[in-house]
Amino acid sequence: MSPASVIGAGTVVRGNVEGEGSLELFGRVEGDVSMSGDVLVAEGASVLGSISAAKISVLGAVQGDLRGSEAVLVERGARVVGDLSAPRIGISAGGLVRGNVRTEGEPSAAAQRRPVAAAPVAHRPPQVALSPKPPQVAPAPLPAREVATTDAVHLVARSKEPERRPPPPVLPSLGKGAKGKKKKDRDSDD
Amino acid sequence: MARHSSEVSVLGPSTQVTGRVSGEGGLRVEGSVRGDVQITGDAEIAPGASIEGNVAAASLEISGTLQGDVNARGPVAIRSGAVVRGDLRGSEVSIEPGSRVAVRLTTDFELDLGPAARRR
Amino acid sequence: MAGTVIGEGLSIEGEITSDEEVVVQGNLRGKLSSTDAVSIGPSSVVQADIAGQSVSIAGQVTGDVSAPERVDIQAGGRLVGDVKAARFTIADGASFKGAVDMEV
Repeated sequence: MSPASVIGAGTVVRGNVEGEGSLELFGRVEGDVSMSGDVLVAEGASVLGSISAAKISVLGAVQGDLRGSEAVLVERGARVVGDLSAPRIGISAGGLVRGNVRTEGEPSAAAQRRPVAAAPVAHRPPQVALSPKPPQVAPAPLPAREVATTDAVHLVARSKEPERRPPPPVLPSLGKGAKGKKKKDRDSDD
Repeated sequence: MARHSSEVSVLGPSTQVTGRVSGEGGLRVEGSVRGDVQITGDAEIAPGASIEGNVAAASLEISGTLQGDVNARGPVAIRSGAVVRGDLRGSEVSIEPGSRVAVRLTTDFELDLGPAARRR
Repeated sequence: MAGTVIGEGLSIEGEITSDEEVVVQGNLRGKLSSTDAVSIGPSSVVQADIAGQSVSIAGQVTGDVSAPERVDIQAGGRLVGDVKAARFTIADGASFKGAVDMEV
């Protein structure tokens, strides 16, 4: 299982995000996202660009196409303007989509072993293209293992847990996890 | 007579209609319809049933097969096992995983990507 | 119990074929055939040839009606068209114009 990456709330990535493993997105990406694992666009998160991954779950807002080699799931409260394609597609009641929606191949069983066309860069390490903003001092201490540009992209290598949790807090005083903390990070953003 | 006096029409599993179905009330299709359906009430395509034609209704629930465009004032729900192809317009369109679709959704809504999306 | 019910507000222009009981309370223009019973309710207006195992007419029908078993025009029913059936009744208060073939 590849490690999961997290882009926290209050984080803006301008540029493409691609890599191996899964990505949990709580902030914003203005660019295309391509992962070999799963991508979660959490509630309040937004992507202005296309996403390709094994399984894509959207609770936030996306303007761009979603291509899942396994599944695309648009959950309640999500907003998507773009085309959806995957062997398995779900749009929950209360999830809004405008665009073309197309399932490919068999709906369930045969979805397993098709090539991950959605992730052409599976052998490269995670990478992000950052905005050219000057670094700012992070006022709150970050969990020790976060490889953080202070500009606020955090790619947190985690061993497992592809599911939709914020990164585990490392400091006891940060019991809420990285999500709330990063909000403070970026009050001067934009 | 109680059941018959309800406002819901039913086309049973062995019933095939070739032609146009229109009018008031709801409609449950358990058989097959080849032709357009235009009703004021809720429409339902039962498992194993099919409509080959355009559907206009208050809402539409599809568990069977639909090949045609949909115009619903309310929600359109595609259930697992359904096969749907066409343009779908509704207040919202939900799709259960396990359905097979090739559809265009023209749902009206605002996409709010946040202030920073109006970038630069 | 009917498998197919065309409700009072509904109109069908075209052809209906079925293997189950069909109850028409709305409007039908075209053709209707079932291997089971067909009944045309009092509120319905039908311009169609009708074939069923048996056919009961309480509404307005214009078209030929055939049934291996029986055709009944109920009180208030009206049929303009030919009837082909082993048994045929016209109730008091019904109206009928057409030929009858009882396959003698």
